Amino acid sequence: MHRSITYLLLYLFTVLFQVFLFDNLSVSMYLNPLIYIAFVALLPLDESPLMTLVAALLMGVTMDFAMGTAGLNLIVTLPVAYFRSTLLSLTYRQEDLREGGIPSVERMGMAPFLKYIIFFVLLHHTLFFLLETLSLSHLLHTVARILLSSAVSVLFITITSRFFTSKLDSRV
Amino acid sequence: MHKLIEFLQRVYLPVLFVVIELVAINYYAASTCYTEARMISQSNDFIGGVHGLFAGVRHYFSLGRENEMLLERMAELEKKLAMYQDEADVARFEEYVAEYGEHKFRTLSASVIANTINRAENFITLNRGTADGVETDMAVLSPDGSMVGYVIDSSEHYAIVMSVLNTSFRASGKLVGVDYFGSLCWDGRDPHVILLDELSKYAEPQVGDEVVTTSFSQYFPQDVKVGTVESVELNETHTAYTVRVKLSAEMSRLTNVLLIGNNDWELIRKMQQSPKVKQHIRQK
Repeated sequence: MHRSITYLLLYLFTVLFQVFLFDNLSVSMYLNPLIYIAFVALLPLDESPLMTLVAALLMGVTMDFAMGTAGLNLIVTLPVAYFRSTLLSLTYRQEDLREGGIPSVERMGMAPFLKYIIFFVLLHHTLFFLLETLSLSHLLHTVARILLSSAVSVLFITITSRFFTSKLDSRV
Repeated sequence: MHKLIEFLQRVYLPVLFVVIELVAINYYAASTCYTEARMISQSNDFIGGVHGLFAGVRHYFSLGRENEMLLERMAELEKKLAMYQDEADVARFEEYVAEYGEHKFRTLSASVIANTINRAENFITLNRGTADGVETDMAVLSPDGSMVGYVIDSSEHYAIVMSVLNTSFRASGKLVGVDYFGSLCWDGRDPHVILLDELSKYAEPQVGDEVVTTSFSQYFPQDVKVGTVESVELNETHTAYTVRVKLSAEMSRLTNVLLIGNNDWELIRKMQQSPKVKQHIRQK
């Protein structure tokens, strides 16, 4: 019960940041970080695949409504949620995954955590920007957008996870 | 039976994933920029108020710049006014302007409460809606009179504008002083540059030439400033130019805009769809 309340807060926090800060951050064409994916990335390590998928569905639909993208966010959020457990088992030891806990530097160690977050965000952003442009004609341009936006998202998610676990680690 | 349940337990997750994904893809593929605008306009009921609050705070930071712009504009108008006053038939002119303004075009001002420039399909949200007299297809101009976009949907208190920085944006434009026209569109790359495509090779565009809208567009009045020519490229068949135009509107710093509606457009449209015209369109 306690866990679901903290995740509800994380949901609100990421949605607010995405809609009111990052979506209005018209600094550059190349900078469009999709930080809302933090909500799916920071689900507990032992979260059931079904719940992960439901969380992705919830976040995708919310973002589609807020950004007015008619399904684009849902399309790209579902696959990363679906392959999250695979990604985790590739970057982290299987037996430690079963113990659960929130993904963070403290829980997983610096290298595995960053590896996991970077792959996770890159997969998501790549799908998003490729589908958004729907062409390979300005590929370099698209790649630049993917890399820059991913870098900002990774940074944001790392900071969020630190903030999130510093208060709650023992209880969740 | 037991085996069946076991089987279902094993496959329900991939099946669920594929089903939701297919529904989403289907919906996305069937969507147009108009569905997207409708979605934003619906979610505005929730987030529009908060956006308005942020926009209100942001507004204060740009007051200085806006003041400067208004002063410049005022000085310019003052100069023009002095010029016109010199003319003998100033009275007749004013009468003409008043009549023109009253009958053909009507104007409104609005504040921008949400605006993006970093997507392929950018929309602008304004704090005026049908209750204030906003209608679909009204032209949207920046305070200095440059092209910004056109209204595609409006709820009671908000309007969604198709930004010039949207790959679905279409308008027609020409060079000042040359009558050949081309189509204006954005390629989704640089938020400061749009393309003037299919401009006849006889137009001979030069870097620095000014680009304005034509009167054929269903949205914009004639001679609205678009920008200046940045570079020129002849297409492969050497029949037309693709001109890169540097936008004169500062899309990333938009706070206030002007809306212009064409009162005659409804009549023109009605006429274009009249049975007599339709007789001449081949039946499909």
